[in-house]
Amino acid sequence: MIARRVLLVEDSVLITSALRVLLESNGWDTWVSPTLTDAIGAVSDFRPDVILVDLTLPDGDGLDILSALSSETPPPKVFVMTGHDDDATRDRCLSAGCDAVLIKPVPTRDLVELIAGAMA
Amino acid sequence: MQRDRRTRVAPDRSRPSVELRPATEEERLWRLEAELAHAQRLIGDLRDRDALKTQFLSNIAHDLRTPLTAIITHAEILRDGLLGNINGKQHESISTIITGGRQLLDTIAEILLYAKGSSEPLTLTESEFSFAEIVDQVSQLNESLVAKKELAFERRLPPDLPRVAGDRDKIMHVVMNLIGNALEFTPAGGTVWIAAECVAGQEPTPSLLVEVGDTGRGIAPDHHELIFREFAQVDASASRVHHGTGLGLTIARRFVELHGGRIWVESDLGKGSRFFFTIPLRYVEA
Repeated sequence: MIARRVLLVEDSVLITSALRVLLESNGWDTWVSPTLTDAIGAVSDFRPDVILVDLTLPDGDGLDILSALSSETPPPKVFVMTGHDDDATRDRCLSAGCDAVLIKPVPTRDLVELIAGAMA
Repeated sequence: MQRDRRTRVAPDRSRPSVELRPATEEERLWRLEAELAHAQRLIGDLRDRDALKTQFLSNIAHDLRTPLTAIITHAEILRDGLLGNINGKQHESISTIITGGRQLLDTIAEILLYAKGSSEPLTLTESEFSFAEIVDQVSQLNESLVAKKELAFERRLPPDLPRVAGDRDKIMHVVMNLIGNALEFTPAGGTVWIAAECVAGQEPTPSLLVEVGDTGRGIAPDHHELIFREFAQVDASASRVHHGTGLGLTIARRFVELHGGRIWVESDLGKGSRFFFTIPLRYVEA
């Protein structure tokens, strides 16, 4: 069985170390990109099923990853993580085309359930 | 008359020993201008220091949030047995780490909200929404605490309450804060309630009037204004039972006033508390 792949785009080593453990212990191959530029390259190299992306990245807006997905078939699901728990941020992310907005810290059970649902 | 040389004449104490020339108008003006310039420098200096304090709070809060998020995530991984089985006591300890961590995150979020409101003008992101839905949501979020403390939670809303046009996040925050305080300060077996109605004639403009009440320990009248001031804690002792940033009600007042409403408390020690806030009717549509 081919392992499903998750691209994790997040610049905090503390957060990625925790999420990598969570994702890998659920059997998903995980690629960590600390920057938007690295993540855009990883989309074509790694071909993720799910992208878990932080909204604020050192070299840009996490939503800009969406523009790199136009040629991907089928397009991966994109879940945006943010610390800003407000309607304006949620509306901006959803209208840009991401599949879900997750407020940090995302309860791990909810995150696993969401990714498993996207992989099904 | 010739003065007796042995008689000493007492000095006239009513007259100053040094006689100054009265300041001219020009000199008075010059002095006032100098004092004004000094006061303006002081105000500028205080504003700079206040901005630094706000920036410091914001930086610290951001710096605390990331490692705390990692701690909570790692703890949840352990709790869910993803790194191996754990026993009941380990599960309990890890769950306490998670609960404590999430409480800290709420505190950090409050500091960030305060810092944001202090460093830039607050704006309203308006939409039309049901106030009853906000109450439902807040009730749901507090269900476990209500059950744990064996409190009665009463929702007293008329069925025909109109929809509200305003900043939903901010009004939700105010309700969350008032109900959170009421639940925290009400001992087991007590009652917490929320009521709302449209009032005309009592306020300068017809308004939505919201009341959050409790049967808790109450607040002394001389603390009614203090509790809305930033960083205020009625019980400032190190051993105080209730903890918090002292910013919740300050933020609530900012949000209510931003809508053009007002917020106040009616309470006395041992008699519970009733917090009220209004949202002017121009933000309410039938």
